[in-house]
Amino acid sequence: MVLFVYLGLFTWNIRTGYVDTVASNTGLELTRWVLTPGRWVWTRVSSFWERYVYFVGVRQEAETLRDELAKTQEELVTTREEAARAKRLADLLGILPPPEWSREAARVIAHRLGPNAALETFVIDKGSRSGVDVNTPVVAPEGVVGRVLRTSLSAATVLMITDPNSRIPVVSQKTRTQGILIGRGAGATLQLQYVSLSAGIEEGETLVTTGLAGIFPPGLPMGKVTQVTREGASIFLNIQAQPFFDPARLEEVALLKRVPPAPEAAVESLPDTSTKRPKGGGAEKKGESRKRRAKAGPDEPKIQEGQPEHKKLQREGQ
Amino acid sequence: MSGPRLGFWVLFTLSGLWLQSFLPGVDFLAPGLVLSLQEERPRTTVVLGGLWLLLQEGTGSLAFGTVVLWYGVLAGLFFFGHWLFEAKNFLFMVILGLCLGLLHFGLMQVMAQLQDWRVAPGRVLMEGVLQAVVFPVQWGLIYIIHNSLPHNVQDL
Repeated sequence: MVLFVYLGLFTWNIRTGYVDTVASNTGLELTRWVLTPGRWVWTRVSSFWERYVYFVGVRQEAETLRDELAKTQEELVTTREEAARAKRLADLLGILPPPEWSREAARVIAHRLGPNAALETFVIDKGSRSGVDVNTPVVAPEGVVGRVLRTSLSAATVLMITDPNSRIPVVSQKTRTQGILIGRGAGATLQLQYVSLSAGIEEGETLVTTGLAGIFPPGLPMGKVTQVTREGASIFLNIQAQPFFDPARLEEVALLKRVPPAPEAAVESLPDTSTKRPKGGGAEKKGESRKRRAKAGPDEPKIQEGQPEHKKLQREGQ
Repeated sequence: MSGPRLGFWVLFTLSGLWLQSFLPGVDFLAPGLVLSLQEERPRTTVVLGGLWLLLQEGTGSLAFGTVVLWYGVLAGLFFFGHWLFEAKNFLFMVILGLCLGLLHFGLMQVMAQLQDWRVAPGRVLMEGVLQAVVFPVQWGLIYIIHNSLPHNVQDL
């Protein structure tokens, strides 16, 4: 009976995700409020310890000189910490979000937590209250870090691109070779799969997102190709890539969020060729969109489904 | 629940969560569940178990259900072992720790497969080993602290 109830609950939750949402909005949220002050206390304690060690070292020196040095050291430690933080934040501000996307900074508050943390994840201090949703792209100044896996009100769990369950369509910048970039776990390189033997991809090339999956904007750096080899009778190349970021050193990240389209922009960007436009202005029939794509021919870049039509046109024009 | 006991469980939960951020994949709250079962106060165990269940499920990355099984099996093992061993015996805790280590490995593989996820077996195995080592040691520490609380001094 218990097993039946458990399996019923498990299956129902897999289909609806309702219990996961409850667990995220309680457990993850509470953990965020527990860990954030703890992190502050930890910074203070480590700063105090650094100062203490320093004091022990200079005990033999003259009293006045020691006081002066202590002050200088304290200022130096604080300044260095602030300088390092300022550099990280400046780097974060340097991330220019692609058109139609906005950027928001978030702090990493913990890496994998508890016995249920099976995937390569970390927790950030921004959640659904800040507009973060499942699959929101997460980037660092060096490149793509991952995407949001689950959210609570003011925290979110991010799945890193190094996780074996992360599969992102990418293209190499120089030779435009497409493939699927797959993680292989912490500390391991990424693997670029489904690249044919005839592809001209080279070592040292940068891999960027294609935007085809509809999650990441196109053109974000993912990693650098480190090895291209042929393997036995495989019809694909064996390609390894190194991610640009170091998971152990992540402290701040940026979230990329889609900017909702302005209604007037939609009207401006669409040439009014149809006499039977439905009421509501910007909306367009699916059939018309299909016809336009067919007219454009097969060489036109593939456009993501579910994007507003004016965005598709703007991208086609780029 | 008395003040010192409430304070103990609050501090235990906070420090357990904090420790979990340093040692990923290891459950620092599980020894508390066993200690609570040993107290034989079912209402306290249910409240603590429910709270920790939500915390672990919320911070985890698998769908809801893994920690239900995790704590369910732990409680089942405790009640089963209770018939064979003295409930507060350290050797019993070592055996429980070993079982939890194996359970962590098996449960992660099965639940990840059910959700069509992939997990690194080497890493999960190492987490299981750490869990097996940490569990009895942590239980020993909190057992001593818990029995030093004003209401429990006579039990020592």
